[in-house]
Amino acid sequence: MFLVDKYINYVNQEVKKEPEKGWNWMVRGFQANKLKTRLLPNSGISKGYQKLESMMMSLVADSLGHEGSYVWGNIFAPEEIFQCFDRRTLSIECLSCYFSGYHLEDYFIDCAQNAGLAPTLCSYHKTFVGAVESGALKAPSYAVTTSLSCDGNLNTFRYLEKKIGAPFTFLDVPYDCDPESVDYLAKQLREMTGQLEKVFGRPFDEERLRRIIAIENETRRELLRFYELEKEHEYPGEIISQLYLMMGTHLLMGTEEFRDLVKFMVEDIQTYPRFTGKRILWVHLLPFYQETLRAYFNGSRKYQVIASDIVLDYAEELDESDPFRALAVKTIRNIYNGSYAGKAEALGAFAQAMEADAVIHFCHWGCKQASGGSILLKEKMKELGIPMLILDGDGIDRRNSHDGQIKTRLEAFLEILDEEDGNAVGAAVSAKKEEA
Amino acid sequence: MIGYICKYAPVEIFEAMGVEMHRIEPEVSNFNQADMRMHPNVCSFAKGVLEEVLAGDYEGVILTTCCDSIRRLYDVLKAQLPDRFIYMLDTPRITKDAGICLYESRIRKMIGEYEEFSGRHLDEEKFFALLKARKAEQEKRENAQGKEGSGLSVGIAGARANQNIRRILEERGVKVAFDLTCTGLDRKLLVEEDQVITGYVRGLLSQFPCMRMEEAAGRDQLIAEYADSADGIIYHTVQFCDNYAYEYAWLKGMLKRPMLLLETDYTRQSYGQILTRIEAFLESLGKGRKKGKISTGGKETMYVMGIDSGSTSTNAVIMDTNREIKAFAVVRTGAKSGQSAEKVLEMVLEQAKLKREDLARIVSTGYGRVSIPFADENVTEISCHGKGAHYFNPRVRTILDIGGQDSKAIHLNEKGEVTDFVMNDKCAAGTGRFLEMIARSLEIGIDELGPAALKSTEEIEITSMCSVFAESEVISLIAQNKEKTDIANGVCRSIANKSYSLMKRVGLEPEYMMTGGVAKNPGVVRAVEEKIGGRLYICPEPEIVGAAGAAIYALEGME
Ligand code: SF4
Ligand code: SF4
Ligand code: SF4
Repeated sequence: MFLVDKYINYVNQEVKKEPEKGWNWMVRGFQANKLKTRLLPNSGISKGYQKLESMMMSLVADSLGHEGSYVWGNIFAPEEIFQCFDRRTLSIECLSCYFSGYHLEDYFIDCAQNAGLAPTLCSYHKTFVGAVESGALKAPSYAVTTSLSCDGNLNTFRYLEKKIGAPFTFLDVPYDCDPESVDYLAKQLREMTGQLEKVFGRPFDEERLRRIIAIENETRRELLRFYELEKEHEYPGEIISQLYLMMGTHLLMGTEEFRDLVKFMVEDIQTYPRFTGKRILWVHLLPFYQETLRAYFNGSRKYQVIASDIVLDYAEELDESDPFRALAVKTIRNIYNGSYAGKAEALGAFAQAMEADAVIHFCHWGCKQASGGSILLKEKMKELGIPMLILDGDGIDRRNSHDGQIKTRLEAFLEILDEEDGNAVGAAVSAKKEEA
Repeated sequence: MIGYICKYAPVEIFEAMGVEMHRIEPEVSNFNQADMRMHPNVCSFAKGVLEEVLAGDYEGVILTTCCDSIRRLYDVLKAQLPDRFIYMLDTPRITKDAGICLYESRIRKMIGEYEEFSGRHLDEEKFFALLKARKAEQEKRENAQGKEGSGLSVGIAGARANQNIRRILEERGVKVAFDLTCTGLDRKLLVEEDQVITGYVRGLLSQFPCMRMEEAAGRDQLIAEYADSADGIIYHTVQFCDNYAYEYAWLKGMLKRPMLLLETDYTRQSYGQILTRIEAFLESLGKGRKKGKISTGGKETMYVMGIDSGSTSTNAVIMDTNREIKAFAVVRTGAKSGQSAEKVLEMVLEQAKLKREDLARIVSTGYGRVSIPFADENVTEISCHGKGAHYFNPRVRTILDIGGQDSKAIHLNEKGEVTDFVMNDKCAAGTGRFLEMIARSLEIGIDELGPAALKSTEEIEITSMCSVFAESEVISLIAQNKEKTDIANGVCRSIANKSYSLMKRVGLEPEYMMTGGVAKNPGVVRAVEEKIGGRLYICPEPEIVGAAGAAIYALEGME
């Protein structure tokens, strides 16, 4: 452990002194970590989540290690199309999280703010822009972003295009979902594909896209089976596992490796005992570094985060025969798009289907679209009789999260949940002690 | 009456149906409803609109899918006012044909829904006539607009501009050279007889693109062209709107004209903050100042006075024509800044052994500058600090001023003129007030905090950026039995971090000077010096720099 800390510290300093060299050390560190997750997986969690962590570490390490093998995207970008060109899509939100592995998020965020970006902007975007501003991160051959689900996307990519000449396609996702809107987006996707043929110098293979979509459908079905099984079995993970799963369903959807992993999880979970603890549906991001949340949820057999809306934000089958329209429908019908009433409805139904005991909504600093709807969601859950807790903090920048505040709110909430069962008040506290 | 907020809203269509359209320009005293029903971190404009619409008497509101905050505003309004016509009009970001076509069909759908809601009807001929009339009016107005006036001209760009900005400029005789914000430009009316609605929609989408439009990529060039016609530019952003700061960050490096970043929050209380920034900016652009009366009271030497009415202290300086400081005084500001001003006046006169009539001219500065009845003129604290700093040490280029309630960084050129400044007067972190809060938690006097910090042996990081959080962080450090000296030093370093980013934003050019009461705190001074990697020049009485600057303004006002 000591050695790892030393390395992290070394890279951290190096990036600040000589950003270009520092970047190479960062990439090497990711590669070393990839090996580590394979050889020495995180022992407190289930097998599937171990494999998942290692798969995502490889995605990042292998991509960053091979310039030209990846494009920058946002989490809602149609990565399926890029797969057809043998390019991985690395979302800027996820990369920012990986940078924070070197505790560089605060430095990068300060770089972005010093350049003039708003301090109230989402920290994922600030971290990423800051990484570029600092000189560590270089432009990729191409980038892609959507107007979904937040304002930062177009702005960040446009800023970086001007700053370091990262060319990108912007996809305007309409708010309404009618056939005209689907056409509008499908047409943009088609045009982008034509553009990519030029950029990557090779023809687009529509047949391949169909195959990818077929695998995607299969994966989604398996994931729904996994969710079904989660009602019965425990499957210990960490809060970061949900983020890895989100990376899977957004950056590797339609790949065989990810499908096989989900299939494995479906098999694996059935070997676990019955789950009798509290089942939490998590809404929006998870601050994976946050002490109190880690203490309560990581590896816990008492409180389990069973699902998050960021993992499954579209649950329907895609129509393989018409792949561009299918991708357009998938994006427009995403629960992050359209009115919040629609989203609250969908989350309510999901919470009921998952038999969730409670919902936790995390308001990430700077995320207007999520925070702005939190009260509406709470009202919806109240209607359905599902307890909901709103936490404020930051998914990545520790300076905007206040542990004392999170701890008080969370403990009080868990006490209420336990009390409902007739359990003694204070069970939450003692559970924490057990795990500590 | 139907409210709207966006220049892409098809206002004329509703007007042709006989509806009174009102552009919502909130000015509120609190965000109680918004904080309860949305979230405090949503854009202040959107929060203001929520307050205004919930309190007002609107038949409905037309919103566009402008940004995240407006999307949530719609959701909350819709839930709160289910019987009104709360409509979300999806506006494409692509302004080419595909976008026009989609927008037209969206607008037609909206017309249908409104017809059903209200029983009114859109008569296309009436609409056409209205457009034609509007267009004619517009052309007449354009022709009537006078050519270049004399005097200063300032352009406005950025997020929707609070109407106060324009008013403040106009009241000071400054010409608004252009206004490229959401609300500023005259709309573009395309009148095409054979396809009235299509033409109209094309016109709407071909307005100067706002940041959410795909076409906004070319805004920088357009703004640069406009900028040539103005002496300076006010770049406006709204609190918790992040969209326009990107453009500011980009323009900052490319525009040659001086640019002021101005953030507003649509509350009434923020007027003073807006005023100070705009006035300081105009002063730095060299707006012609009026010369004053001269009354030497019959004496040979002439004296002037500068008075700086700050939130924690009121300071006065008397200077003679040779720019020698004859006397100075500092008093704590009481509840009424006017009374403290009287008191400091009395004290400083006594010190100088002069009478009120001996003062030829008095210039006031500081946030209470306008409420000092005996002043002949008022100048903002930004300009006065710049002047004062240059007076004490002409080599200074970057000033850090930390007062009780605010902190600011100012950049000067070699002539001592202000070329850039940033102010933090909205949050306590990084100000003297914050130090006082912490000293209280540590149970030590405010004067002991700095010396204590110098004795620190262990590095402690205070990570929270918000003063309220930081205070509870400190309390938990105390609970962990950390040494007071180390905590004190951690706090000084957290102030230094904030200060560093302020200084960095104005360029961080040496030499550096620190002014204001906090400059007397050796712990903060050391921490800032470590952070910037340079020495801070601190004059013997760092609190009177602003007043000294004001006194020089008084002298200059008579020359
Ligand atoms: S957290 Fe919110 S603001 Fe940040 S990238 Fe995600 S959706 Fe956008
Ligand atoms: S930013 Fe654009 S879309 Fe938003 S209100 Fe202004 S003009 Fe309308
Ligand atoms: S000021 Fe910014 S966040 Fe607010 S409504 Fe306008 S574009 Fe949206």
